[in-house]
Amino acid sequence: MRFVARRLGFFLVTLWAAVTLNFLIPRLMPGNAAIAMMSRYKGRLNPNALHALEIAFGVNAHQSLVHAYFTYLGNIATGHFGTSLTFFPDTVAHQVLQALPWTLALVGVTTIVAFVLGTAIGLVSAWRRGTVLDGALPPLFVITSAFPYFWLALLAIWLFAIKLGWFPESGGYEVTTTVGWNWTFVTDAFNHSILPALTIIVTAIGGWILTMRNNTITVLTEDYVRMARAKGLKPWRIMWTYAGRNAILPNLVGFAMSLGFVVGGAILVEFVFNYPGVGWMFLQSVENQDYALMQALFLLITVAVLVAILAADVATAILDPRTRERG
Amino acid sequence: MKRAAMLALVVALVGLTAAACGSSKKSSSSGGSTSVTISNEQGTTWTCGFNPFNASVSFLSFGTEYEELTYVDGLKSGKTTPWLAKSYAWSNGNKTLTFTIRDGVKWSDGKPFSAADVVYTFNLLKKNPALDLNANWSVLKSVTQNGNKVVFNFKTAAVPYFYYIADQTPIVAQHIWTTIKNPTTYKDTKPVGTGPFTMSSCSPQVIKYKKNPSYWQSGKPTIDTVYYPAFTSNDPANQQLASGKAQWGSQFIPNINAYYLKKSPDNHYWFPPVVNVAVYINQTDPILKNLPVRQAMAYAIDRNKVSEIGEYGYEPPSNQTGIVTPTFSDWLDQGLAKKVDYNPTKAEQILQQAGYKKVGGVYQTPDGKPLSFTMINIGGYSDWVASAQLVQEQLKAVGIKVVPQNLSSQTYDNDVYTGHYQLAYDGNQTAGPTPYYELRSLLYSKGSAPIGKTAGSDWERYSNPQVDQLIEQYAATSDSATQHKIVKQLEAAMVNDIPVIPVTEGVDWYQYNTKDIAGWVTKGDPFARPAAYVNPDWGVMLLHLKAKQG
Repeated sequence: MRFVARRLGFFLVTLWAAVTLNFLIPRLMPGNAAIAMMSRYKGRLNPNALHALEIAFGVNAHQSLVHAYFTYLGNIATGHFGTSLTFFPDTVAHQVLQALPWTLALVGVTTIVAFVLGTAIGLVSAWRRGTVLDGALPPLFVITSAFPYFWLALLAIWLFAIKLGWFPESGGYEVTTTVGWNWTFVTDAFNHSILPALTIIVTAIGGWILTMRNNTITVLTEDYVRMARAKGLKPWRIMWTYAGRNAILPNLVGFAMSLGFVVGGAILVEFVFNYPGVGWMFLQSVENQDYALMQALFLLITVAVLVAILAADVATAILDPRTRERG
Repeated sequence: MKRAAMLALVVALVGLTAAACGSSKKSSSSGGSTSVTISNEQGTTWTCGFNPFNASVSFLSFGTEYEELTYVDGLKSGKTTPWLAKSYAWSNGNKTLTFTIRDGVKWSDGKPFSAADVVYTFNLLKKNPALDLNANWSVLKSVTQNGNKVVFNFKTAAVPYFYYIADQTPIVAQHIWTTIKNPTTYKDTKPVGTGPFTMSSCSPQVIKYKKNPSYWQSGKPTIDTVYYPAFTSNDPANQQLASGKAQWGSQFIPNINAYYLKKSPDNHYWFPPVVNVAVYINQTDPILKNLPVRQAMAYAIDRNKVSEIGEYGYEPPSNQTGIVTPTFSDWLDQGLAKKVDYNPTKAEQILQQAGYKKVGGVYQTPDGKPLSFTMINIGGYSDWVASAQLVQEQLKAVGIKVVPQNLSSQTYDNDVYTGHYQLAYDGNQTAGPTPYYELRSLLYSKGSAPIGKTAGSDWERYSNPQVDQLIEQYAATSDSATQHKIVKQLEAAMVNDIPVIPVTEGVDWYQYNTKDIAGWVTKGDPFARPAAYVNPDWGVMLLHLKAKQG
């Protein structure tokens, strides 16, 4: 119990620091939202529009930084994230909620799949080290992980979408389909997610394989594994429940963090594939000096990562009694 | 257990992949009805708001749902076509403009349109300055209704404002907008307009427009559906054009001949020039305010080379008068245009005659300061970065050192607006129906602001009372011959004072596919500006499109 309380206190302090930085950093950027809008529509907006935009966005309605900070804290506490200037006059909450499911589905599922597959491959190759499987899979995926993501993605688009025509090359769904919970749309959306999903998995899996394999090899030399062998347990059982369970512990925190980062989206993935998620929205908010949207997304990521780490800490404490003891 | 679950997951994934592959082929043009898909990367997903006074979404509704009083063709020196107004007339020394409003026009909800809607729209802008994107009320005194006529009274003679009032202001329905509490933050998710199309469905990824069956131009439009997908990056948008999935493009496509033109004999493109991309020169800089320095720079820049290498030849070379050719050729004073040509020898002569000395390859002012400047540029525009580098090399060849600085577009604009720069490589000014609009935004000192304050135009802080006077005189005349004469005098100021150096001509990006659809804007028939992001021109274009016969 004390362990959890201590962790919770740490969590709150980190959260406050993150929220405050989140408020300050965007405000150090030059320019303002009205000028950002003029830049975005360069040469298309009559220069006279600047005045109208400043009024609409409240650019000259100056309030002190301290006042703004406390208004901001209050709004966060009550869940009011305000109006997005990028998607003016839509609310931040509405925009984020619209984009979040796409990201959660794509990046969330692929993160889990990459972790599960990577862990399994790592475990099996450690168990069967020296075999063809161990000689082929880990090096292969370590190499694919080392590729720059955008390059691999562009290559995949060129080969599978343009040359072979197996998958659509961009977007979350075909422009002619109607959005809704019907079979055509769901299959279409799934079809559009395959290529981005595969490229994420291929680039993310290598790290999990490598760490899991190394952890397992270390664990396999432990006495309790020898003990299990001596007892005559089935090899599969030893691999999963004796070696696997202990080898996975160091990876849990890493996995929790990557789950937390899922809500930040994958900017490169969403950019290359023109995918309607939050990662790309994040980039937009920065480019357009959209404080409200930026803050909401930063906050979302911070909270998600902190919560995931907290959960991982608790999970580790449950799985591994040693971590509960104070040194 | 775990192994079984894993296996099941893998099997399921593989199975679904295979199933999806099998059913992925789908044709974009279904039989019977005609549809057009637009490919125009906006770097954003759609908010599904259509408020025509919201600068970030107005291009999605102004021209299709909402319409203008009179259409002004920017590629035909402002030739007018009656639209929601049957006719217009200037009176009272060009201080009063009267429109006669068309009968028989209906809003898309069936209610009749009338002059009262027009008056309401303009008074809405007066009451909400945040909506008045063209600052109409900086010159307007009053807007009143007189039967089916609407009378605009101006503070001063305001002929150029005809373009903003007649062509650039979308007319909205009084019966809808009176019920809206805050028009500035109004989203307008179901726009009710007079236009040829209505918004039929919208998602963050695509907007679908359907034809308005009771549109006032009988028999039009003939296109049934328009798809406007949202693209957040350039490559997917270009790919849609190359594969023929999108028929109308407004895209910058690198190596367009190989990437787009060769893919199909039905693919075409045309890039009509509309506005200059220029080197802005800060006139308040202690060295740059000396004319010989600016003259030397103007002679040293090889515009043809910048156009060919920096801009792939898509953007033609400019000339020092600031008149964009061939679009506005009949406004051009040929003699003036030839006066400042590429001539590096002459550039050095000018500097030497003015007492500048070359030390270590770089000229120095008579009091010993080197001609060394920074030129800010937008790092995200790869073609402008390349062009700025060429300009740097060419100036170096005549002993003027320039250091380009690639900035984010925001930092860049902030610096240009507030005047914190020496040289800037820019195309900030907007195109107008005649060259006057661009020249005014470059030269009119009353649109400028002191260094440190945000200027809406004249970013190089040029100030010449005679030029200001000419610009005001133009506003007072609707006589074309007088207008041409004044513009030629402004050209002389551009050539003699060199406040900016036009380098290349910015164009409307435009690609079109003629496989199933005809009626496109062509070089021979420029009935509208052909980029999909130009309002209300894109509505005019969509009205002309039709299914190809046979």
